[in-house]
Amino acid sequence: MTNKAKLTKEEELLLQDFSRNVSKKSLIIFHFNALIVSAIPIWLYWRIHMMEPLSSAVIFIVVTAVATYLVAMAYMNTKFVLKHKVAQKVEEAVSREVMKKLKDDKNMSKKEKDERILWKKNEVAESEATTFSLFYNNALFLMLVVVGSFMVFKSWAPTSNYVCSTLGAAGIIALFSTSSQ
Amino acid sequence: MVWAQTRPMLKKLLLSLALLSCIAAEGEERARLLAAKRVHNLYLVEGRDIVVQYSLHNVGQAAAINVQLTDAGFSAEDFDIAGGQLQVKFDRIAPNANVSHTVVVKPKNFGYFNFTAAEVSYQPSEDSAEIQIGYTSEPGEGGIIAFRDYDKKFSPHVFDWLIFALLMIPALLVPFMMWFNIKSKYTITSRSKRKAD
Repeated sequence: MTNKAKLTKEEELLLQDFSRNVSKKSLIIFHFNALIVSAIPIWLYWRIHMMEPLSSAVIFIVVTAVATYLVAMAYMNTKFVLKHKVAQKVEEAVSREVMKKLKDDKNMSKKEKDERILWKKNEVAESEATTFSLFYNNALFLMLVVVGSFMVFKSWAPTSNYVCSTLGAAGIIALFSTSSQ
Repeated sequence: MVWAQTRPMLKKLLLSLALLSCIAAEGEERARLLAAKRVHNLYLVEGRDIVVQYSLHNVGQAAAINVQLTDAGFSAEDFDIAGGQLQVKFDRIAPNANVSHTVVVKPKNFGYFNFTAAEVSYQPSEDSAEIQIGYTSEPGEGGIIAFRDYDKKFSPHVFDWLIFALLMIPALLVPFMMWFNIKSKYTITSRSKRKAD
């Protein structure tokens, strides 16, 4: 407890940078996106596989909820892995940009400038990793759903096809996201 | 499900011919009508047009007078009439002449349906007051496919795939553009800085 109290702002920022915890805002963005993407297959199964939306409502809701959880997990894991790689890549560009902005500010101490760079780097890495994670996982999920639905489980009954394709795709992207490579 | 009634239809046609021939008196100039009822569709689909053609051929020596063709096989409960009439009258059919009549019906339900024979009545000669009654060939039982099953199997679903593509825009294009903007901004900055150095 005493150690925690002694943490400086910079250390807190660093801890936040390296922790798996995501902010409330990010959590909402991830879950909202995951919900939308998980619900897209319903259209395919309703219109093309001819599943009745009303009679299959329970299955649709349950599968979408589970898929939302898995896809959101994949977003968070991918973002966490990417963020550090991105942070290293953008470090130089970000520090130059910040230094250029603060060039005329003679009163600012070096420590404060470093803090600004760290904060900006964190922000850029966070947004780049988040957007890429959303794009990558969405693309992979939708591709797996289409492949599962129209190729792998083509001959199955629509309901089992839907459950296996959607949960399978969500499970695979969640599993892939746990890889640290 | 596939309509494959050609052989039974021919049998029925020959049977009709035989019956009508027996009824006709020999040595007298009489009209003899051969009547066939054919369903032209390969697939019979609920709510889709079914084309039914009736062909009458007079093989007798005299003209058939007041030929009345009546098909009571398509009840209003099971079918809508999309075109044509189920009861039609031809004033006369000359010897060796053909007449055909087409009706387009739409089945209201799916399942098996027995396509029965239509009735043909006519006067075998101009002088005769006698009414000759005959029947067309009977196409027999056909399976009417539910529209959703037919659509599932044969529709290209272009519209549905188009909507699916539109749904993918917020899921793929928006995050990609955002990521690309951030990435290009910092990549360009570092390059330009290097050049400046």
